[in-house]
Amino acid sequence: MATSSQQAADCGSPDHPMHRRRFLQGAVASGISTMSWSGLFSVPAFAEEVKRSQKHCILLWLCGGPSQFETWDPKPGTETGGPFGSIPTAIPGVHVSELMPKCASIMDQLAVIRSMKTNQREHTQAINLLNRGDNPRPPFTRPTLGSVLAQQLGQLDSAIPNFILLDPCPEGNEFKGFKAGNWAGWLGAEYAPVRVGGEFTIEDAERLAGVSQVDHEEREALRRFFSKKFENERKSAAAASYNAVYERVKGLMSCSHLFDLDRLPQKDRERYGPGAFGQHCLLARSLVEEGAPFVMVANGMPWDTHVFNHEIYQMVVPDLDNIVYQLVNDLKDRGLAENTLVVVMGEFGRTPWINVKRGRDHYPDAWSLAMAGCGIQPGAVVGSTDALGVEVTDNPFNEKNLFATIYQALGIDPYAAYELPNLPTFHRVEERADPIKEVLA
Amino acid sequence: MTLAEHKEIKLPTTVHDVALAPDGETVWAAGLDGMIRGVHLDSEESVLLGEHHRYASGVHALPDGETVLSAGYDGKLLWHDVVKGLCFRQVQAHDFWSWQSALSPDGKRIASVTGQYLCGDYKYEPAPEKEPTVKVFDTKTGDLSAAFSLRPPVQAVAFSRDGRHLAASNLMGETRVWDLDRGKLVSAWATGDFTGWGIIKGHYYTGGVFRVAFGPGDDLLYLVGMGSTRDPAAGNGKQLWQAYHWREGNPAKVAEASGDETGQGLMEAFAFHPTGDWFLMAGRLESGQWNAAAFDRESGGLRASHDFKGRICQALFLPGGDRCLLAGGVSQGGLKDGQFRDYGRLWLADL
Repeated sequence: MATSSQQAADCGSPDHPMHRRRFLQGAVASGISTMSWSGLFSVPAFAEEVKRSQKHCILLWLCGGPSQFETWDPKPGTETGGPFGSIPTAIPGVHVSELMPKCASIMDQLAVIRSMKTNQREHTQAINLLNRGDNPRPPFTRPTLGSVLAQQLGQLDSAIPNFILLDPCPEGNEFKGFKAGNWAGWLGAEYAPVRVGGEFTIEDAERLAGVSQVDHEEREALRRFFSKKFENERKSAAAASYNAVYERVKGLMSCSHLFDLDRLPQKDRERYGPGAFGQHCLLARSLVEEGAPFVMVANGMPWDTHVFNHEIYQMVVPDLDNIVYQLVNDLKDRGLAENTLVVVMGEFGRTPWINVKRGRDHYPDAWSLAMAGCGIQPGAVVGSTDALGVEVTDNPFNEKNLFATIYQALGIDPYAAYELPNLPTFHRVEERADPIKEVLA
Repeated sequence: MTLAEHKEIKLPTTVHDVALAPDGETVWAAGLDGMIRGVHLDSEESVLLGEHHRYASGVHALPDGETVLSAGYDGKLLWHDVVKGLCFRQVQAHDFWSWQSALSPDGKRIASVTGQYLCGDYKYEPAPEKEPTVKVFDTKTGDLSAAFSLRPPVQAVAFSRDGRHLAASNLMGETRVWDLDRGKLVSAWATGDFTGWGIIKGHYYTGGVFRVAFGPGDDLLYLVGMGSTRDPAAGNGKQLWQAYHWREGNPAKVAEASGDETGQGLMEAFAFHPTGDWFLMAGRLESGQWNAAAFDRESGGLRASHDFKGRICQALFLPGGDRCLLAGGVSQGGLKDGQFRDYGRLWLADL
């Protein structure tokens, strides 16, 4: 669906030759059916090798817009600094909020960008911007990061969904609206997320007792045959989406147990903290271990603190601090860090000034985010803001730079053009925006 | 009865608390910049008395006329010598913020409340306290004289008028009253009316009781804050006070603000007029008509109100009772010519 640009990205780590696109290319070139190719996964050693080299991404989506002052870019003792202090980190000379002592201790494993500068001040527009990597160009809908990674990193014939949205809080104002929208854009419904978590459990995923395995598979083969025939003859996008959903359900039936929080070890659950966000971040780690290429963890819009900024951040930031610490350490301990990119961000930051409601408002002019793992330079702290955190003073980066960085870190060509019917020329990242080289390994 | 603005004094940052000096003309102000300032209400001249390393949250003038105590988000209590202009004692009262502090009527004890809201379970119930959240200190020696337990964060504290009892209330609307002479809990109850669990945006608690105060005769305890909200980022709960018969075995609510007379917004300040016939509640206006209002003690009805266009954190009456002082601030606003405006306010209001 996308052609590589002249200079393909290479993060330096072993490539991942078994992703969906290259499988299809290989199948077509050799004349071998995809069914035969996918059969290779039944060979344990081969499947294990694929699993090992699979790349993953976990996005901790801090919706609402987390304050950079109370996280990665504190300004203690200034007119904008708020009531929290700062603490030194494992990187000499670099301080973070005192609310993040655990992240401070692993700062040499993280990369922090303190100079994000974007142009959308309202949630709906900014959520779209930081999930899709570009401003809208109606009537075309750019796929979200998760959909692109599902397409690029997803495994053929994988039971586990290629794009999982763990979403324990079903609400979220503007985020709720975004969740109801079109995630996959022009890539198509098969790259939309499977949404689970909290109240979103996978129900009725068991084969009925009265239907034998053979009967079940024969019925599915018949359904697939007629549906595909209908889709081909009518060139029906709706039928294609319908078929994609069926394929997903089929996969979910075999892996629904992986979404059960209760199956996770109690010690792990305690380490991630009792809150819904921590529990689902642990689930994200577990799903990545099982082969999920992209997991996004959200929890409503808790970071949107127009009211009670400090009163809310006294709780949510320590929770996040522990979660990031546990996740990064777990991935390292399990040998997954090299192939798993972790991104911790929201749609913008928050104002340096305090409003009359004890809150901080939306602020895209100078904000921060953090990354770790696959393709990322550990300990990199990039960009800076002025003494009050009002302006970026060094290395401003926007959403295009960020997306180019993420794609490059994962070994995906950032500038590939989409080749789809009835679509003008679009690229994964437009204008050949530079990746943030300082955070790339 | 009317409530009208007489004068507005600007200070660098929002004023969390004020205390009247014995001369009746000077107030001590605790600011968001951590500073403790003396401000002459006529000349508007100010002097710097001391400094906390974080927000200053409380300030109290001892009856001796020479000592001012302050509390801050650095968890410290500071003793300031007004004559010498220096801090002569500091006590690390808490590991976390001093959310609020109160001076006993005789000036012999100061109480301070603390506690960090940390995630305690899947739905973000507050975790149990790590240190006693309610502490009482001797103002003469700085020694800890009592420590009590209440689930954090504890945001409001007050002594009874006879000085025998101490009341405190928290984020979850849990209120406790202790007998200070016996060091025992004598009353405890909870109301969910002041606390919101975010349904719309985030699953956690916001709000809580922001001020407690004993009424004349000490029979009623007033709780002040904002009604429950569905959206933690909206700040649109009802402007709310409630009165409880705290001495009863199962304390009962006996009065509350009428929904017909209140708007929306967090209420933080509460003070009885010296006559005891009415009280003043003030805070911030989200929607409605006023951010400061006088209520009749007997009927609970609204007697007068005014919108001071800002956030009011504390209220007190000046000698004579025909004028009150409201302390707080307005929005910090953005930078202009490289500087922030003065956004602290002292409003003098005529009654």
